[in-house]
Amino acid sequence: MEDAETFTLLPIHLDPTSKAIKTTSKSRALNQELDTLNALHRTLLTLDSPIPPPPVPVNPKRSGQITKLRESGNAEFRKGKHVEAIRYYTLGLQMALTRPLWEPSGLVRDEVAGLYANRAQAHMAKSSWAEGSIDAEASVEAKKAGNAKAWWRKAKCLMEMGRLEEAKEWVGRGLELEGNEADLVALLKEIDQKKKN
Amino acid sequence: MVEIDWKGLILPFSYIGVLLGSLITFSSLYRKRKAAASATLAPWFPPHLQRNIYHSLSYLAPEEGKEKAPVVPESVVRAALLRRAVEDIHRIIQVRSAKNACSVLLQRGSVGDDLWQRFQRAEKEMEEELRDVVMEANALTPNWGQTIFQSANEIAANTVLRKRLDEIQAQTESEKAWWDKRRESIQGEFLKELEKKA
Repeated sequence: MEDAETFTLLPIHLDPTSKAIKTTSKSRALNQELDTLNALHRTLLTLDSPIPPPPVPVNPKRSGQITKLRESGNAEFRKGKHVEAIRYYTLGLQMALTRPLWEPSGLVRDEVAGLYANRAQAHMAKSSWAEGSIDAEASVEAKKAGNAKAWWRKAKCLMEMGRLEEAKEWVGRGLELEGNEADLVALLKEIDQKKKN
Repeated sequence: MVEIDWKGLILPFSYIGVLLGSLITFSSLYRKRKAAASATLAPWFPPHLQRNIYHSLSYLAPEEGKEKAPVVPESVVRAALLRRAVEDIHRIIQVRSAKNACSVLLQRGSVGDDLWQRFQRAEKEMEEELRDVVMEANALTPNWGQTIFQSANEIAANTVLRKRLDEIQAQTESEKAWWDKRRESIQGEFLKELEKKA
């Protein structure tokens, strides 16, 4: 970095109509950064206040809608309408992932972990093991500890696809985080049995 | 009276002279080189793009045919400052996680002194940068300095999380294609076995 007193003057200018910052430079990093900046500017303009509100307290409106979508999905799942359930979960995920970036990331993690895990379950009920496996992995990525179900689903999907080595690895990692979760232990036994055959 | 044998002392005195002379030359040369080296130490971080954008906004060139530079709306300046704060968060995280590793490596002698110097300079620069951002934030909107880094922290964390999730979800198509092909081949083998048995 330069000294605190100096900076590098960049070839940027303001578009008078759209108020977007543009550049004549071909630098990819600069163009990318300006895109991010302009996108952030547009979201800031939608706010009532000139600056983003502090992360907490959260506006409960969006959380409520997400919970509602998840519950609708759960209801459809119980009725056996898996495709409908997946649709509700996907809508919920869109809602959760389009939360403004300055809202607490921990909250986003919790919400998407639940939704991805549920969508994985709905995919598994349709025997779509590939999609189920991806969703379970996303759920685990969002929330590693206290998410035994998602670990189990990831490993189960891999096992169903015949990828026993990978399945065993995922169960192992899940067990490390979750302690001796009964379901995971049972799945590990099942995988070992299959490997012998 | 003791007669001093000046001639006999020439040898020891010239010895001391040469010794001192070489020591002084060595020390001055060594110090000069060290100072030059620390002045040209490579910076720890690459150029701060967001900071450069933020400052460049105040020096925009006037458009063609116009004399005055365009007035940048404050909302753009605020967005640029927020982007700068987000990049600072990334850098603080890097500095904090590198600190322990660096000091351990230095104690063991695995890395040179100049790396440690570069690191300490980066740390000091970051402190100044943070103070500067807080001051600018307060100048733009009263009391923003108290929350700008909270917001920036969440933005940084959220961006990382979304990127990871996007990466995972991007694999869906290829995984699905792989599994469809694999399932077909399994089914094919299964049918063949059935035919054999029949």
